[in-house]
Amino acid sequence: MARLFVFAIGGTGSRVLKSLTMLLASGVKPNSEKEFEIVPIIIDPHKSNEDLKRTERLLGNYQTISNEVGLDSGFFNTKITTLNNLVDSKRLSGSFTFNLQEVGGKKFKEYIDFNQLDDANKALTDILFSGKSINKRHEEVNLLDVEMDIGFVGNPNIGSVVLNQFKDSQEFKEFASNFNDGDRVFIVSSIFGGTGAAGFPTILKNIRDAMNNRNIDGKGFLQDAKIGAVTALPYFNIEKDNDSPIQKSDFIAKTKAALHYYKDNVTGNNSINSLYYIADDYSGKPYKNDPGDNGQKNDAHFVEMASALAIIDFLETPDRALETTGGKAVSPFYKEFGIRNDSDSIKFSDLEDYTERKIALRLSQLALFRKYLDEHYQSAIEKEAWSTDKPEINKKFSDDTFYRTNISEFLSSFGEWLIEMSNNKRAFAPFNLDTTLDALVADRTVKKGLFSGRVDFAMFDDKLGKKSKGKTYSSAQQKLIKLFFETTEEILTSKFGLKN
Amino acid sequence: MKEFFASLYEWFGLMPLYSTDMGDHLRGWDITCTDYIGTPWYVYIGWIMLIITVLIYALQYHIIDSPRWNKKHHWWIFSLLIVVLNFLVAFTIPFNTVNAGDFCNQLNLNFSDCIGFGLSNAIWSFIFFIIISTNPLIRRFSTNCRNTTFWKP
Repeated sequence: MARLFVFAIGGTGSRVLKSLTMLLASGVKPNSEKEFEIVPIIIDPHKSNEDLKRTERLLGNYQTISNEVGLDSGFFNTKITTLNNLVDSKRLSGSFTFNLQEVGGKKFKEYIDFNQLDDANKALTDILFSGKSINKRHEEVNLLDVEMDIGFVGNPNIGSVVLNQFKDSQEFKEFASNFNDGDRVFIVSSIFGGTGAAGFPTILKNIRDAMNNRNIDGKGFLQDAKIGAVTALPYFNIEKDNDSPIQKSDFIAKTKAALHYYKDNVTGNNSINSLYYIADDYSGKPYKNDPGDNGQKNDAHFVEMASALAIIDFLETPDRALETTGGKAVSPFYKEFGIRNDSDSIKFSDLEDYTERKIALRLSQLALFRKYLDEHYQSAIEKEAWSTDKPEINKKFSDDTFYRTNISEFLSSFGEWLIEMSNNKRAFAPFNLDTTLDALVADRTVKKGLFSGRVDFAMFDDKLGKKSKGKTYSSAQQKLIKLFFETTEEILTSKFGLKN
Repeated sequence: MKEFFASLYEWFGLMPLYSTDMGDHLRGWDITCTDYIGTPWYVYIGWIMLIITVLIYALQYHIIDSPRWNKKHHWWIFSLLIVVLNFLVAFTIPFNTVNAGDFCNQLNLNFSDCIGFGLSNAIWSFIFFIIISTNPLIRRFSTNCRNTTFWKP
């Protein structure tokens, strides 16, 4: 199985990765020539970033569920693994996060050994890193005195220096020596902050310059790797706070500066095979202005899900369109994302046909699965035929870690993710989560006919009973996932008219 | 067949719920009081009991066959329906005969005999419903009631 190494940089990287995890969990699958295994590598110096922690937890649960039920159960049918799983190395942490060394609790000037520099270099450094920022106590400090454990606070000039350590890291060596011919790389970042804007070109450069790196194996494959990236341009609004180094008014200026840099070092030199631009100029509900010291927990946004779809699209791109020679893409292409209707609350019907076909049914299936487990599961187990057939799904199964922790936590996060997107502005609100079953999908009415019964949990149990009858499952875990995938698919196609 | 149903309804002689005169009438003791050549009610009512029970079993387990009707209290509702119907059948037929005086005048039949036979039929229908609905080999053809019996789910 080929691999896709996804480098998720900064807060946006983590949130896009979360969206990708949700899409893959729902059964969204790239229509590609070959199967891919996803290897996420999160790069964020801001270890207490809530978005990062939520994404890591989510990935862990996904991995456990997928390992338990296999890849042919519908939901969770794409393998996600950590880098250390590939290499059997004791030197890696086993988490999805790239360990940035010597950043925690350190000022930037300490990181670059500013005091050891001679006067001329000190002067040069002062010019390059002039300006002010804040520390985690909200005190104004010189840029050189920024403490980097809350990220680079919107300063890509700091980020590009610190993230350059990536090329010498154990993770990069392991990544390089495990990178094979058919594998691909995808980089997720935002362009208007600090970490993402700096990290994307830095990582890209280190991959393309692999031939000059004496510390790594697999250089040839890496230099000519098929690389895609999504770069999120400004897409959310932020509260005005004069004391914060993060200002909405700077977003466009930072974006322009970064794009100008990319023009020479990313797109202009054909370093990238496929670059996806995404943005939204809708001026919606502002996010809390948090430079990072309060944990940086932003609501999920439609743009992040659309960015995750860029990864799916990249996997669907055939190898022949991603040829690379001598570290240069032969025919690079650039894409944008659009929706059919400029709605401030997006429903499935507001999406273009391809996007709607790709996600509507699968996301609805997972939403329906979640609704059943939340509202009806406890009263159905040990009663309905589908649960009492072997392997039994009973109270003992529900008390087991798989259900109680992995499934419950994952679906709870999925629910939160949907609610956050629906509360955001611009909203993505394709579901009515708190209504009856027949009103679940916002812009779909249930087909009514003389002989078609009501769409409720009894009908759901009936379909589950019919699907499970006579079937064999390798485990109760597999039964739960596979049975609900097949049943929700049937209900949503036959009753709600969603297309497969 | 007549003796089979007769022994069932008369509880093998151990616990008859009605008089032996009613038993003779149900065996087909004719109106001229000569022989058992009248209507063999035991056989007719026995078959009606079996057919009603099977039909109502099929109604719950295979026709409705719904999660809305597959809990143990639903089983009890259907069993009540079976019991009531079979009681009415077994009560009404001899009761009409008694009212019309359409039986051998040497037999002494009364209202309590009709009640007793109705009860006997109702009890046997209940037992028969238990037998067919607790047999997993029969139940397994149902989708949603394949685990439904009088004690679960």
